[in-house]
Amino acid sequence: MERFSQRHPVWTAIIAVAAAFALWLIFAVWPDWLIDLVGRKKIFLNALFNGVTLGALYFLVASGFTLIFGLMRNVNLAHGSLYLFGGYVGYEVATLTGQWLLAFPAAFFFTAILGTLMQTLVFQRMEGEELRQTLVTIGISIVFADLLLWIWGGDFYNIGLPGWLSGPMDTFFITSISRRTGEFIFLKYPMVRIVILAASIVVGVGMWLLLNRTRVGMIIRAGVDDRDMLASTGVRIQLVFVGVFAFGAGLAGVAGVVGGSFQSLAPGEDIRFLLASLVVVIVGGMGSIPGAALGALIIGTAEQFGSVYFPTYAVVLTFVIMVVVLAFRPQGLMGRA
Amino acid sequence: MNVPVSNMTRISGNGVGNALELRGVGKSFGALAALADINMVVKPGERRAVLGSNGAGKTTLFNCITGDFLATAGTIRFFGEDISAFPAYERIRRGLRRTYQISLLFTALSVLDNVYLACNGVSRGRFSFRRPQRNDAVTESAETLVNMVHLDSVRNTLVSDLSYGQQRQLEIAMALSGAPRFILFDEPAAGLSPAERRELIDILTNLPGHVGYIIIEHDMDVALRVSDSVTMMHNGRIFKEGKPAEIEDDPEVQALYLGGENHG
Amino acid sequence: MASIDTHADGLTSQSWVERIPAHYYFIAIALISMPVFAGDFILFQIFGWTFILGVISLSLMFLAGYGGMVSLAQMTIAGLAGYMVAIFGNSAIDTISQGWPWYVAIPLALLIAVLFGTIVGWLAVRTDGIYTIMITLAIASAFFYFTRQNYVIFNGYSGFNGVLPPQLFGIDWRHPVAFYYLTLFWAVAAYCSVVYISRAPFGLALQGVRDNARRMAALGYNVTAHRVAAYAFAALLAGIGGILLTWQSGQISPGTAGIGPAIDILVIAVIGGLRHPVGPFIGAFIYVLLKTFAVDVLLSLGLAGERFQLLIGLGFLIIVFWSPDGLLGLWERFRSSRSRDPLTGRNGGGREL
Repeated sequence: MERFSQRHPVWTAIIAVAAAFALWLIFAVWPDWLIDLVGRKKIFLNALFNGVTLGALYFLVASGFTLIFGLMRNVNLAHGSLYLFGGYVGYEVATLTGQWLLAFPAAFFFTAILGTLMQTLVFQRMEGEELRQTLVTIGISIVFADLLLWIWGGDFYNIGLPGWLSGPMDTFFITSISRRTGEFIFLKYPMVRIVILAASIVVGVGMWLLLNRTRVGMIIRAGVDDRDMLASTGVRIQLVFVGVFAFGAGLAGVAGVVGGSFQSLAPGEDIRFLLASLVVVIVGGMGSIPGAALGALIIGTAEQFGSVYFPTYAVVLTFVIMVVVLAFRPQGLMGRA
Repeated sequence: MNVPVSNMTRISGNGVGNALELRGVGKSFGALAALADINMVVKPGERRAVLGSNGAGKTTLFNCITGDFLATAGTIRFFGEDISAFPAYERIRRGLRRTYQISLLFTALSVLDNVYLACNGVSRGRFSFRRPQRNDAVTESAETLVNMVHLDSVRNTLVSDLSYGQQRQLEIAMALSGAPRFILFDEPAAGLSPAERRELIDILTNLPGHVGYIIIEHDMDVALRVSDSVTMMHNGRIFKEGKPAEIEDDPEVQALYLGGENHG
Repeated sequence: MASIDTHADGLTSQSWVERIPAHYYFIAIALISMPVFAGDFILFQIFGWTFILGVISLSLMFLAGYGGMVSLAQMTIAGLAGYMVAIFGNSAIDTISQGWPWYVAIPLALLIAVLFGTIVGWLAVRTDGIYTIMITLAIASAFFYFTRQNYVIFNGYSGFNGVLPPQLFGIDWRHPVAFYYLTLFWAVAAYCSVVYISRAPFGLALQGVRDNARRMAALGYNVTAHRVAAYAFAALLAGIGGILLTWQSGQISPGTAGIGPAIDILVIAVIGGLRHPVGPFIGAFIYVLLKTFAVDVLLSLGLAGERFQLLIGLGFLIIVFWSPDGLLGLWERFRSSRSRDPLTGRNGGGREL
């Protein structure tokens, strides 16, 4: 952080001003001219919050994807299938037991098993052959998509929320001042989204701690930096690979439950979330967890602001962000050159 | 020796004082400084040997000069022109050539195709979508070079099927493509048989007089026979410069470098 | 994908015309006389479609096989060319279509496709290797979503219908026989140009870049420029294929260039084989046969007809697992195993790969 500010003083200043302006937008009561210009603050805050929570969901999917790539150089294009599979499993478990919370460990467990199988049965046999591995993941995603369609059909599924999570929650963000009473009006926001955001932050911080504060994490980070070194230190590298693949897959499964809870599950969602992961890690930087967080935040908010303020070109906005990043920083915002 | 000298007259830059002029060149990989404060002047046609133990920074120096990667400090002038920021291909097109210590050849292509690629890279037709005619100049110069390094018997063999010595010969042929003005040879004699060594010395001493080179060579005999001046490197810095005889007799050099070797 | 076209004769022997193998002539006669014994459905739906998909996957094969760059954006470029023909030329959506004559609309469409392909290439080659797949896939999907949402230029979800080839020389080029020859011509032209360029200085340099980019730079080649130029040439092929595809179905919509079709083009090229330009056409033929008849076969086996994707996916997996060089690789392996000398284990006859 300090090094960045020393090396790029102008950028640091621009970012600081932008951050201050953003904070003002979020916390201040908007003056009338601003409302005339961009609309009511409630809409802005809602777009922002939806963007951040969508970003949280993207982060859950993309962090597994980027972790797998970082360590094994495996571009897992079947990652979206794992997401959808996890969502369906979560749906079945939640409907069967009536316990929403049970859906998470179940989805994690079963997708992790699936990931373990993929790594041990398929990818271990073609280690180092990046292109062939990627082709295989494409094949797997085609097969999975059809198998999932066969089992669950083309209907939309929605994982029902428990009572304590449904409904809005009062926040401390002011949307406006009531004209009649002169009191502050606070933003009401769906409880479930706030819980999901908090959970994603917990997962993200947990992953960061795991990677930076534990021995296993040290091994994984060393492996991302230099795979040969990992093999030469006598670590059972295959075990680490399987573990990371299982964990990354499990995260995708958990994300599937999250997505199925506040959006819905249907064929095609696998591709959608695969693409979201791709864009997030291209923007954030391949193999970097903080990069995935930053990329997810940018893409999530860009998508939501885009759909609110210029609906026809919302997709293009995401794409433009990706192109600009590729053009000026091909390795991604947090990626290493 | 019939090295093709087609466009020899095309000399760019202002003032043709020195073939190569390095001022304060340095290269760091993160915190590790592989090269520091290299100052070196090589005149046109001069043949220079660079000596030094492993890890002295010799190959890194070559990589910085040819632009395989950019130096992190200093300026490099090639026949007066500042090439410090040029990509590798721009430097090569100005008449700089090099060989690699570990052969970087196109193993899936034939010997002739390898040399053809080398000749074509410095010709105007490198982007051509048209196939060459039967007697086109690039193909002919490629054939001349293949004959020159005595690989004509294996000209259509895939490089992966060549012997080690033959691959080294091919590296030399590729470095002589086009109209070289200055060549960097990275341990060309390593691993060669005595007969192949003699052939190599032959090729080097018979290069046209205007073609200068720097040669990295561990074998003092070879190095001193094919060079008019010697630069000693140690720990990424230049340690000593002089005539071959001076260097050979220098006690410091002997202590540092020759002392450990069975020289006689 | 180590080596392609390593003919031992190298560049020097130019007498290749005389040495066209006999089976080429046999295939040529069979293809030219096809309309004599094949029905309209076979000509239009099977072979026409095969040639079109073959040309589009050939553009991918050129990039992947010779350049080592696997681009998933080739179908997108094809789709863009199709859209441009519909927009500049004639279609049933006359509020958008300009109705310009074919000799303006088609070159313009191809030019835009090549420009777009060049930009895609420029973005994709900024990073190395496996990133290319991701970036091009992201570009392909962005195009898909953009055309679906944009009504001003691309007419959104429904796209354009009634996009027909011009009535040149008084021939209805959409008539099965005429369309067959039209697609055959462009397939052969595309195939020959790729074979020719692969041995021209540009193609040879591209293969050098694929095998060892650093060395190529040290030989005086601008590696990035070569890669981008390869994308531009591949975009021309894809654009031709895209225009033909639009004429065949008479319409173009976001689904034509969606993510599924983009992946299908890769599947076709890989199944056929990425080592030789004939691979994409073999792959396309198998794909078209499966797509046309698999439903009936599946139904007769008592399975639901929709399981087509499963079949394609499994076939693709089997190929990638056991023969990374596609069916061509299988065939070469079969031939070399037959010609292997039982004593030395070395190949006696035939070309060693």
